[in-house]
Amino acid sequence: MTWATVLSFIQGVASGAIRSGASIFYAALGEVIVQRAGIVNLGLEGCMLVGACAGFIVASRTGNPYVALLVAAVAGGAFNLVLGLLVITRRANQLASGLTLLFLAYGLTSILGADYVGKRINGLQQLSIPLLVDIPVVGPVLFQGDVLWFTMLPAAGCVWWLLYRTRWGLSLRTVGESRVVAYASGLSPRSLQYQALFIGGLLGGVGGAQLSLSYARVWIEQMTAGRGFIAVALVIFASWHPVRAIAGGLLFGGAIAFQLQLQARNASVSPFLLDMLPYVLTIAVLLIWGRNRQYQMPQGLSSVFEGTD
Amino acid sequence: MRFRWFSLLSSAGIVAALFLTPAQAQTATLVVGALHVGSVNDNGYNQAMHEGLLNMQANLPGIRVIEAEQVPESADSERVMENMVAQGAKLVFPQSFGYLDPALNVAQRHPDVIFEHPAGYKQAANLGTFWSDTTSFEYLMGQVAGRTTKTNKLGWIIGFPIPNILTSINAFQLGALSVNPKAVTQVIVDNTWVDPAKEAEAVNALADNGVDVVTMIVDSPSTVIQTAEARGIMSMGFHCLCAQNAAGDHWLTGVGFTWGPLFTRMAQQVMDGTWKSTNDVGNLASGYAALAPYGPLVSEDTRALVDTSKATLISGELQVFRGPIYDNSGRLRVPDGQIANFEELLNSTDWLVQGATGQIS
Amino acid sequence: MAEVMPAAADSLAAPQPLIPGAVDGAVTGWWRSPAGIAVARFVTALVLALIGFAIVLLLQGRNPVDAYTNMFSVTLGTAFGRSEVVVKAIPLMLCALAVALPARVGLVNVGGEGQLYLGAWLASGVALTFTDLSIWVLLPLMLVASIVGGGLWALVPAVLRAKGWLNETISTLLLNYVAVLLVQFFVFGAWKDPKSANFPQSPQFVAAARLPTFGAERIHAGLIFALVAVAVMFFILRQTRWGFEMRAIGGNPEAARRAGIRIGTYIVLALVIGGALAGIAGFGEVSAIQGRLRPEISPGYGFIGFLVSWLAGHNPLLVVVMSLLLGVLTASGDSLQISQHLPFASVNLLMALTLVMVLVLRGRAQEATR
Repeated sequence: MTWATVLSFIQGVASGAIRSGASIFYAALGEVIVQRAGIVNLGLEGCMLVGACAGFIVASRTGNPYVALLVAAVAGGAFNLVLGLLVITRRANQLASGLTLLFLAYGLTSILGADYVGKRINGLQQLSIPLLVDIPVVGPVLFQGDVLWFTMLPAAGCVWWLLYRTRWGLSLRTVGESRVVAYASGLSPRSLQYQALFIGGLLGGVGGAQLSLSYARVWIEQMTAGRGFIAVALVIFASWHPVRAIAGGLLFGGAIAFQLQLQARNASVSPFLLDMLPYVLTIAVLLIWGRNRQYQMPQGLSSVFEGTD
Repeated sequence: MRFRWFSLLSSAGIVAALFLTPAQAQTATLVVGALHVGSVNDNGYNQAMHEGLLNMQANLPGIRVIEAEQVPESADSERVMENMVAQGAKLVFPQSFGYLDPALNVAQRHPDVIFEHPAGYKQAANLGTFWSDTTSFEYLMGQVAGRTTKTNKLGWIIGFPIPNILTSINAFQLGALSVNPKAVTQVIVDNTWVDPAKEAEAVNALADNGVDVVTMIVDSPSTVIQTAEARGIMSMGFHCLCAQNAAGDHWLTGVGFTWGPLFTRMAQQVMDGTWKSTNDVGNLASGYAALAPYGPLVSEDTRALVDTSKATLISGELQVFRGPIYDNSGRLRVPDGQIANFEELLNSTDWLVQGATGQIS
Repeated sequence: MAEVMPAAADSLAAPQPLIPGAVDGAVTGWWRSPAGIAVARFVTALVLALIGFAIVLLLQGRNPVDAYTNMFSVTLGTAFGRSEVVVKAIPLMLCALAVALPARVGLVNVGGEGQLYLGAWLASGVALTFTDLSIWVLLPLMLVASIVGGGLWALVPAVLRAKGWLNETISTLLLNYVAVLLVQFFVFGAWKDPKSANFPQSPQFVAAARLPTFGAERIHAGLIFALVAVAVMFFILRQTRWGFEMRAIGGNPEAARRAGIRIGTYIVLALVIGGALAGIAGFGEVSAIQGRLRPEISPGYGFIGFLVSWLAGHNPLLVVVMSLLLGVLTASGDSLQISQHLPFASVNLLMALTLVMVLVLRGRAQEATR
């Protein structure tokens, strides 16, 4: 084992973590906003699927992946609004509504996407920053990627700023802590929750689109393969904080990339045990810092998790 | 209570509709059912099967084909097969490896229905198996890869490490070795037939490791080929000649199944009553598969070499699995001068040939 | 001790009364009872969803009348179709009960899928190890193993919740994935069948490990387990002190605590029994239907079971009805595929549209009573 192989391995895993963690990260970022507003979207997987499917269809028909990305975001936002209809206007159970929407997405995307399986698209291009990309080891990892890679940090920063530095964010967080207090303060919880759902859906749609437009460049039914659920867990792992969601996204993405990089070097390790790691880690983290996190949880979520919403 | 009346009325309406709608008359000469594990538009395995069925239908008018896609490889597939049999299917193609045991169960319950399973290793009185010897093609592909690679590192991405796939990899590596003694092949196992994200990541991992020609046996070659193209490495296709649709300049060549004539013959035999359960494995000359057109990077010399090899393979002068063949741990698997039994290889290979490495067990 | 929040109106913990029709102590007719209304509402929602789905079919160039007649005539019109509805309803019932019991105590169990897999895993382990026992010993042993497997998998979230450390919604959700990966680990590794050409599945179970079926179709003895579980749960919840105390916790946890009811114990008990029931579903699938352990043994029974229980208001008797109804929906997916060339998953759209309608209609009913 030379330094060169170790470095190239780390480089491979890092790039892989970014590539495969990006979709989870964006979805989690959106979910942070939604949960901060007091709603748990268990159908986030469906939101991502809708984004992936819509994006792929538009890319296939127009040949422009950037337009496709926009449409995917809007599709995700619209999908989340349906959840809003059920959960905000009709006051239905959040978890059941989320799961229902998940199945809705499975069915809808499989029908609409059926004609597009096997089609080829122009995916998002790989961009790179000219001089920086040549820095050894770090360069190709950090300064090369598609547009969604470069917008990851800014997106997290934006969401952080939105939530913690604007009046809108404060109102939103108030709604998430207590609707009653928010209403009494003259805010409109319903309207704010709808807005949160829409924005969260935009990001969820982007997360899904990253899979079909950039990572795999194909459309297959249920291609998100559980990433949406991972993202929901990730939000709790990151204690509802947008920037910490990056770390979580990279961790999950890294686990996926790690075992394939190991295989490429013919190292023996069970991919299944490795795949378990992120989930077990999340539970462990939640346990160790659990009590702290419970205090950090938006209080409005407690009734959802208690089953009494 | 408006729900009460509404639901009563609508239930009555539905029941009435069911009784009043006349049954559809089916007049087909033969009803053929087929189960696919993926989508028939995957530019790969399933599409090749689908095109074979279409070809059969074109050759034998009056045949009705019912297909089901995305059928899981578990006991669920039994339900689908039963459904097809209930609709009158007399010939069923469970078109994926994992359908073998469920198909045997259904075959036992319906002795009058014929089943044909690809790459199966067990037969029954009414269940036969078929496959195409793609190893000769793989050998030729290996030769192309061996001559075109600049790094001498070749890569394979596979769904499951089953014997017929390992035999293909071995044939490929032997072909590469025959023109380039320094060639090595790295195998990555996905543990699933369809997972675009994993396939993309696998290509990246191989490319990070210096591989510059990659090929695959997963359901759809599209992701692998496109990701390879994006990374600037060369790729070869498998399963369907249409894989080329996904390719760009870095496409070398590929192997595609051409099942049409075989399916037509089977259907004809079922209709004539002359069908017998066999393990039908076609070879290079049978026409169950074909080599795909070359890409721009394949030199004229290489094409000429492949033509020569093809001729000597057909004539029998050149044998892919003629010993001595050692596996990658140095053990002698095929003694000097002997030619390995092909069917045995297809059914029981659990080793990789010298120069090929991967986590196959 | 854990804090359990008080229940709100349309919550999981304020479900359907146990004897349908018992309003104000007098039986006023099942059709007018909350349970009857729930079923009527479901049928209305189903019809609306069928209309909605028909529109989607039309937009995709299909003939809805054709599709529906084919769907229902095969699913309900043939003996095999009807048997398949029951085959699907068995695990749905068990997984729904796995959600219903904890829900009565105010808990959310979304881990049915994982508990099913663990039950299947442990039962498979027994089947593959003790191949020489007679069927009368092996099957009960496998049943016990599946109960232990599913129960254990729910025990961890249960204890974490009882101690107030981690909410069970999250822990059960995450453990689903770990369970599936665990089964894959074994099926691809130590338990891989040497006779299956390196394909990931366990060796076939011996005949003594196969749950018997009734008749020529695939309805199996798991049906007995499911129905017994329904009856027992109904009895316990309605007639025993345990059931009363559980419902008290679910209805008003603070009052229950002050009355001295041991909330922590019941939390663990409810979740573990729920997990055990899902484990039995796994046993049924792997022993009767699959005959071996494979990487994929459930098409989401845990999640659909969650929805079934929720639709039934966590009432064990209604769970049977809803399981059959949803069994019809999911079993009719094949016909959609085969006759209309739509993907299998399109039946999910029909199911989801039905549920969306239920959610919308239920909401309206709620507002009407305020």
